[in-house]
Amino acid sequence: MEEKIISKQNLVKLCADIIGGGHILIAPGKTEYVVTQDASQIVLDTQSKPTKASYKTFVFPKAEPVLYYKRGKNDVQILDAGPEQKKTVIIGAKPCDTNSFNILSKVFNWDYKDDFYNYRVKNFIVIGMMCEFSDRYCFCTSVGSSPVSEKGSDIFLIPLDADNFAVRIVTDKGKEFIDAYSKYLTDGNPSKSKEVSEKVKHPEVAFDSKQVHDWLAKNFEHPKWDGVGDMCLSCAQCAFVCPVCHCFDIVDEDYSYTEGRRMKNWDGCQFGHFTLHASGHNPRDIQGKRYRQRVNHKFKYYVDKFGEILCTGCGRCSRGCAVSIDIKEIVANCKD
Amino acid sequence: MEELRKLAKELLENKTVAAVLGYVEIEPKRTKPIVITNPEDAEKLVFNEYCLNNLAVYLTKARIKNLAKQNGSVLKLGIVAKPCDIHAIIALIQESQLKREDVYIIGMNCGGVAKDFGLEYGADTLASKCVPCETHKPLYSDTTLGAEKETPKVSDEVLDKIRALEKMTYVERFAYFKKEFDKCIKCYACRAACPLCYCQRCITDKTIPRWIESSPHSRGNFSWNVVRAFHLSGRCIGCGECERACPMDIPLSLLNRRMTETAKEAFAYVSGRSLETPTLVGSFDVKDSDELFM
Amino acid sequence: MENIYKPYLAEIKEIIDETPDTKTFRLQLKDPEVAKTFNFKAGQFAEYGVFGEGESTFCIASSPTRPEMIECSFKVYGKVTQALRRLNEGDTIGFRGPYGNWFPLEEQKGKNVVFIAGGIGLAPVRCVIDNVLDWRKDYKDITIIYGARSIGDLVYKYKLKEWRDRPDVKTIITVDPGGESDGWDGEVGFVPTIVEKIAPKAENTIAVICGPPVMIKFTMPVLKKLGFSDENIFTTLENRMKCGLGKCGRCNVGGVYVCKDGPVFNYAQLKELPDEF
Repeated sequence: MEEKIISKQNLVKLCADIIGGGHILIAPGKTEYVVTQDASQIVLDTQSKPTKASYKTFVFPKAEPVLYYKRGKNDVQILDAGPEQKKTVIIGAKPCDTNSFNILSKVFNWDYKDDFYNYRVKNFIVIGMMCEFSDRYCFCTSVGSSPVSEKGSDIFLIPLDADNFAVRIVTDKGKEFIDAYSKYLTDGNPSKSKEVSEKVKHPEVAFDSKQVHDWLAKNFEHPKWDGVGDMCLSCAQCAFVCPVCHCFDIVDEDYSYTEGRRMKNWDGCQFGHFTLHASGHNPRDIQGKRYRQRVNHKFKYYVDKFGEILCTGCGRCSRGCAVSIDIKEIVANCKD
Repeated sequence: MEELRKLAKELLENKTVAAVLGYVEIEPKRTKPIVITNPEDAEKLVFNEYCLNNLAVYLTKARIKNLAKQNGSVLKLGIVAKPCDIHAIIALIQESQLKREDVYIIGMNCGGVAKDFGLEYGADTLASKCVPCETHKPLYSDTTLGAEKETPKVSDEVLDKIRALEKMTYVERFAYFKKEFDKCIKCYACRAACPLCYCQRCITDKTIPRWIESSPHSRGNFSWNVVRAFHLSGRCIGCGECERACPMDIPLSLLNRRMTETAKEAFAYVSGRSLETPTLVGSFDVKDSDELFM
Repeated sequence: MENIYKPYLAEIKEIIDETPDTKTFRLQLKDPEVAKTFNFKAGQFAEYGVFGEGESTFCIASSPTRPEMIECSFKVYGKVTQALRRLNEGDTIGFRGPYGNWFPLEEQKGKNVVFIAGGIGLAPVRCVIDNVLDWRKDYKDITIIYGARSIGDLVYKYKLKEWRDRPDVKTIITVDPGGESDGWDGEVGFVPTIVEKIAPKAENTIAVICGPPVMIKFTMPVLKKLGFSDENIFTTLENRMKCGLGKCGRCNVGGVYVCKDGPVFNYAQLKELPDEF
């Protein structure tokens, strides 16, 4: 598609216009993606470390009411809840984050459609940016992405020099969005940005996901799972910072004697009580089984069902793990 | 390092211990926990300024405990422990979660650890828990290894932060913690990494009735973080693992450290320092001052 | 916007105490428009919710051929079932469903059917029995073998009587040894033993089985010995669920989502699944 150029000063103006237009603007902050009110504070650095958590909370909030209720004597009244319909723009998203909506949309729409998610995504503009960060935990190239992948971005930025970004318009949605700000753009030269993007160092490919899938199909029972399970502490840090982990819980919470709301909250498969039946029976009673579920869900079940790996290779789960469990290393060792 | 590996190998070979909980280096300036049961693997063990984990957390895990049971006899579990980790082991023994004879403590003299993996170790990168540390030598151990060290001298930043908190009004302090707790995503990494959060069933997992709202919104996050701080007051040994494990950088140590200070001021008690002392809660005395609660 | 998490409201028309810890609710959807168009198939499940407590998953125990009431039976175990127990006739609950797949009854017409159930496991089987009985002429021999720990643990006693009274159905009720008392005119023995004794013929027959894991474990070899093929043995799985919509991620057994790909499976399908029930 088309390519334009924007200067850094104009990018700040564009961001200020987005905020001024009443839209929500999200940008990478020091450690998190944050909603920003001040365009001049936005720092777009291709070498920055991925934020601690992904930005999935903006389309799939960590806690979200799905309905409100009022109890009468015998009666109940249900009041609808729904996401705020506000245009949201994220700028400077890493390619390992941008692909997340493509992956998540599958499970939220494969049969029943989760409009809480869909309505937010519909109002979401993703401005991705090339990435030049890499550490021992990165493995985007092993799951079909790359530091210059435009997958999932509506618009993609590539820094041309100290003052200018190439603006690649990836989707129709992106075009429609950026057209409103065309005064800040000048015509681009795709060969220049291509030259830059081709020079970006890619993380080494750590594993062949197809081979991993086939190994998992044959090794549901394997001593490896207990080995990692014994070291894992059963928190859900890995799931909650993940751009594509989507398991949730539905709980009711009263806020008075007669009123309350039903919440859809993040949940994690590494918690022991995640699959605990009321009878006390637990199909995944030890941590090894739960870790097996995590790896299988990402690299086998989701692939079988939806044709996508449930992983973007961002490495957040490993980077944040208190006991340094490295999913890349574990998956790379899923071979005979 | 060699003496550590030699000792671990011997202990495993002569069946003093069934397993050794220790650290393995995965790259320079980065270690991770490991359980060794094969004497040959003892050579993987390391100890340095990047051994951040408090391995005592594993001592209450069912499957780790089961390792000690071998052919009808019960062996000890060996653990490589910094002096502060040993405080946690003592606290677990004080709270009857462990018997002294269940563990073989390989105590390491320690001059502090780094804030995070990959950082150049020095005064600027010292873990905040090490700043006020007074125990560089193990209080209890079966063998103590390593040369005695001093912590690099730095300003008392943790206590400074606590003092800054105390200077705040209630309203300011509430606002401060609300902002911090709002970041909480309820992943319970703090609970998982804490050696003293060993409850089989945490109060937050109980649903009948539900005492702690499971939702990660302001109210639910307050109820979780405050209740955890309460449950740890007079028990926390200050290893800082909760704060290190927190993916959202919530300064949990500030809260726990404050509770520890309070317990110390009111009852002259610090958890995990003496096997002879009963726990604070377990040593209630009618003559105790009520001032703290009134 | 369509809210897939929003339940219908249903009124509890009648509460039946089945056993000391098991109840049956007879429900009517409150919105007459919804009630008129609501339909489901035998074997499907739903989410039943008490506002303020949460939702719980049970099968629909009534037959789709008798649409005037939706029935569900539950054993009191956890938070939601305890809350359901406290409700009275006339109270309102939430109802989301029907979800999941169903027993392939249409495809099995012209065959003999053997129903084998234990304890509360009769609930999901009951809807199939009633459905088949309402289409009686489409099927050949019908055999019902139902057992519980004791007489007091038998559910749907009124149904059991109805089935026993029918001349075109062979109904065998059993209680575990020691669970009988004076005047008990049924069998005494564990379900697998009784199945072996009754020995329903496998030819042109499907078996529908549901009950505690231990019952299923010991009945399966009996059915195999009688000559039932894996494809002709059907059961329904239960796993912890929250959404029922194939999203929340906890009911899967291996790559199979019980809420979407199930809850009804034949034994050949079950054997393909990893051991993670």
